[in-house]
Amino acid sequence: MSGKVYGMKCNSCGTVSYPKHAVCPDCRNERFEEVAIGGEGKVLTYTDVYALAIEYETRYLRLAIVELDDGIRVTGQLLDDEPKLGMRVKTILGTVRQSGETAIQGLQFVSV
Amino acid sequence: MKPVYIAGAGMTQFGRSEWTLMQLASVASLAALHHANLGDIRVDGVVVANMGAARVNRQTALGSALVDQLALYPATAESVENGPASGASAVKIGVQAIASGMADVVLVTGVERMRVVNGLEGTDFVASLSHPEAEYIYGVTLPALAGMFARLFMDKFGVERKHLAMVAIKNHENAAKNPYAHIQQTVTMEGILTLPEAAVNNPPIAEPLHMFDCCPVSDGAASLVLVSEDVAAKLGGPKVRVAGIGQATDTHAVHEREDPTDLKSVRIAAKTAFDRAGLKPQDVDVVELHDAFTILEIAESEASGFFPRGEGHKALERGETRLDGALPINPSGGLKAKGHPVGATGVAQLVELVWQLRGECDARQVKDAKVAYACNFGGFGNNVVASVLQREA
Repeated sequence: MSGKVYGMKCNSCGTVSYPKHAVCPDCRNERFEEVAIGGEGKVLTYTDVYALAIEYETRYLRLAIVELDDGIRVTGQLLDDEPKLGMRVKTILGTVRQSGETAIQGLQFVSV
Repeated sequence: MKPVYIAGAGMTQFGRSEWTLMQLASVASLAALHHANLGDIRVDGVVVANMGAARVNRQTALGSALVDQLALYPATAESVENGPASGASAVKIGVQAIASGMADVVLVTGVERMRVVNGLEGTDFVASLSHPEAEYIYGVTLPALAGMFARLFMDKFGVERKHLAMVAIKNHENAAKNPYAHIQQTVTMEGILTLPEAAVNNPPIAEPLHMFDCCPVSDGAASLVLVSEDVAAKLGGPKVRVAGIGQATDTHAVHEREDPTDLKSVRIAAKTAFDRAGLKPQDVDVVELHDAFTILEIAESEASGFFPRGEGHKALERGETRLDGALPINPSGGLKAKGHPVGATGVAQLVELVWQLRGECDARQVKDAKVAYACNFGGFGNNVVASVLQREA
């Protein structure tokens, strides 16, 4: 994976799902094409979480669920100092977790 | 389906324990077996619920291990790992065994020993139930999911931090009357919210949730003895029947739900359980909800059908869910104060309800309780088991 985040577009009904499933949740078709997920949207909800999992050295993480303008929702890291419900953001790709030698790439959100 | 009764219920003290996983499981199991007073009636099967032993205790196949501890060979043995819903899932499997006629007596024990690892490891093992690519890699933990849920839910329905504090205050008050509870200490609105010191006493865990909105990390075990109608008749004594169990799942990633504030799996599981029991939420006298986070008690009280959507915090504010209210919720202290040894929780909720229905709860006894309901909330709502128990004569 080139660092991009992919969802799936159903070959039958055209529904885009993220994350991927083995079966289309809308029509149960089993054939898809991969589509890159991202773009602009608004913050549906967010939190500053201090109860962290392993592999994080920071004091807290600011996480959010963003509703993209195409209707797809994504969970990721919000890189903004004044978060608000409904704020406009766009997705960027960045390192979201460092697992040993591996820098895991994923979605981050910055204000627009 | 044949009727299924709960003949005995027991548990260990919840909290930090020096006992091994199997010591915890054995102590709870023996308490339940003694409570049932089976005499020479033998146990046909054992089901053990647990979430983290493979990782944090390096032990697997717990069902077989518990049969060995209790010398119940050649009883059948199963282990159930179903996230935080493992406990009630294991009970459901035991109920199915008796309802189908494959067994007459099944011991169901939930156990977790998670304080043996540090906080990061403990939080991480539970976080591993989240979606690996769409949630976990971003640092999502259960408190994070609860924080995001709380912010959206509070904004939508006008729930304030004082309402969350009311859940904590009530459940701590109840736990202070429960000798098995992890935290037997009351808290006040001033101490956790309104005084300046509250900012220190009650630091943020996942905004808007603070420490006193979150359950403690506990070790512990809880156990039930399920029996067929024939065995229940032979044993005599108070009869508590498993009137109905319902279960429902939802999307793995929380963001994929059409309305992330709607606990659809709770709604479906509750409705199924009530339909199977031939009862309604209005028939219920005492309730145990899965308040791993205070906001969940409010949301589950609505989704289970006790209050209309958006009204749960108002019922709480009116005192209806207090021990002396019209519908006491979490008389045990809930996960919030009784504690949350993850795999044991679903069983422990039912242990409390069996004791309540038998009138054995002393200072925290809900008067004349005949019908009881529990919600065991797994994942962050992707797997929920609801149970209705009924006292017969």
